[in-house]
Amino acid sequence: MQSPLRWPLLAFMVLFLIFLYAPLGVLGVLSFQSGPEGGPQFPIVEWSTYWYRHLFGQVPPTRVAPLPIGPSLLRSLALAGMTMVTSTVLGVLAAQAFRRRFRFSGAVFYLIVLGMIVPGVLVGLGIALLANALGLERAWWGTSFVAHVLYTFPFAFLVMLAIFNRFDRSVEEAAWSLGVTPLRTFRTITLPLIFPGVLSAMLFAFTLSYDEFSRTLFTTGGAQTLPLTIYGTFAVEIHPNIFAFGVLTTLFSFSLLTVYGILMTLSVRRGRRVAMQEGI
Amino acid sequence: MSAAPQSLPGNEALFATHPPPRARRRDWVTAALLAPGVIWMTLFLVAPLLMMLYVSFWTQTTFAIKPVLTLSSWKFFFSSATYLDALWTTLRIWLITLAATLAIGYPVALYIGLFVRNKTIQTILLVACVVPFWTSFLIRVVAWRPMLGTEGAVNILLARLHLIDHPISVLLFTELSVIIGMTQIYVVFMVGPIAFMLSRVEPSLIEAARDLGAGWARILRTVILPLSLPGVVVGAIFVSVMVLGEFATPAALSGRKVNLLGNIIVTQVGSLKWAFAAVIGVVLTLIMAVVVAGLLRFVDLRREL
Repeated sequence: MQSPLRWPLLAFMVLFLIFLYAPLGVLGVLSFQSGPEGGPQFPIVEWSTYWYRHLFGQVPPTRVAPLPIGPSLLRSLALAGMTMVTSTVLGVLAAQAFRRRFRFSGAVFYLIVLGMIVPGVLVGLGIALLANALGLERAWWGTSFVAHVLYTFPFAFLVMLAIFNRFDRSVEEAAWSLGVTPLRTFRTITLPLIFPGVLSAMLFAFTLSYDEFSRTLFTTGGAQTLPLTIYGTFAVEIHPNIFAFGVLTTLFSFSLLTVYGILMTLSVRRGRRVAMQEGI
Repeated sequence: MSAAPQSLPGNEALFATHPPPRARRRDWVTAALLAPGVIWMTLFLVAPLLMMLYVSFWTQTTFAIKPVLTLSSWKFFFSSATYLDALWTTLRIWLITLAATLAIGYPVALYIGLFVRNKTIQTILLVACVVPFWTSFLIRVVAWRPMLGTEGAVNILLARLHLIDHPISVLLFTELSVIIGMTQIYVVFMVGPIAFMLSRVEPSLIEAARDLGAGWARILRTVILPLSLPGVVVGAIFVSVMVLGEFATPAALSGRKVNLLGNIIVTQVGSLKWAFAAVIGVVLTLIMAVVVAGLLRFVDLRREL
């Protein structure tokens, strides 16, 4: 579009991307600071991978304590896995129900979506209060787990709603009219068709749960998850080992994204191959 | 929260193909499919929030709470300078951050949504906005520390450009650093909805306005701005709810100097003052409800989206 605004807006866009990415770039550069005396700021005394080795306990002990990530990482992965499976199942079921009109559908819709709107600190506080009143022990696999699903289930639900919305119903109806049971129809017809959506819902749920902090803070009790462990180190002086950890956790996220991309491509390719065999 | 299920396109046609005789059985199926999700949300979201309201009227002793109803926690909130101060700080930082995300996000959305008409480039730019979310939230927050400190990247850059003689010290561990951090993290929630609304504007509409002699300032004000308003409202709701419930960014970037209501909740829970924490939680919920309801008055989202 021709307008005198075009070039100023482009310049603004570039500045915006710098604003968005500069902190992460600086963090990435500073993760290669020399150690253990190099601080979390410029200038780089000497380029080194000291803080990465520090993260894995590969350096002699110094006054900088190693990040206690080992057990909390395992907990976070387990929690994200549990949350992923549960919220995807709940999301598929609820979205399946929304394929036909029913009374109170508006109320149910808002009840589900509320889970992603209410701030984590309030959800965490409420669940902690309820658990205390009922005399239940708070733990990452219990109270944190239900809090995480509250948050990721709405995302899974909305993704599946969008998928079912573009879904050709006639295939299912053909199966039913041939006498195939609804459950078998779902397994052999519906599920393969909605699989890309299921994959996206799983990706959302896993990453949101893995990184979730505010919903976890009041609900874990003693054994902490990864974000809580990281948060604990902010209170004291920070060291470049946090930066090195940031780089690694970002790489982990991107490898998840890559796995998702590969599975998605395979799923689409498989769908196309089936379609070709059927001569559609 | 806008896309109401009834308004999804194509549903009418789909449902119309189903004759009513099997309706009763299908009602049961629908109920069974919904039950797990609805029960989950009721037990673990609605019940805890009601519990929070209930506990806010409990009696707080030094280390415990007792289910004896009283108004004393509420009275304490409205007579405590610390709490009221946190309330004002929360409202002030919320308004400033909202204004900042709008001021920064709107031109970006304008560019992506209206000036980039190539779908591929549009997608690339939107993905570029979302990619930082693949880093841990806490890491994104703490990444501002080496940027803003007196020996930080911003000060070094400004000194190299001979724009400053002395490092600027108000950049870190102040209210400003909290606002900068929050703006960077939440601005994308403003860009997305606005860019979405703008990308649906017909270019011919703007052509027509120009042919009729409207200048760009006028087109912006009378055509583009009104059409993007639903996007602004959705973005403002996202940003408001997230900023009002924040506590991690102030804790990490203000050196515990800036205390939002969220931070007070964390401190109170830390010292087992559950009833006080519940009062603040209820206050925060009420503020959010008022803000969201107020924003929704601007546009009828069900109609617009």
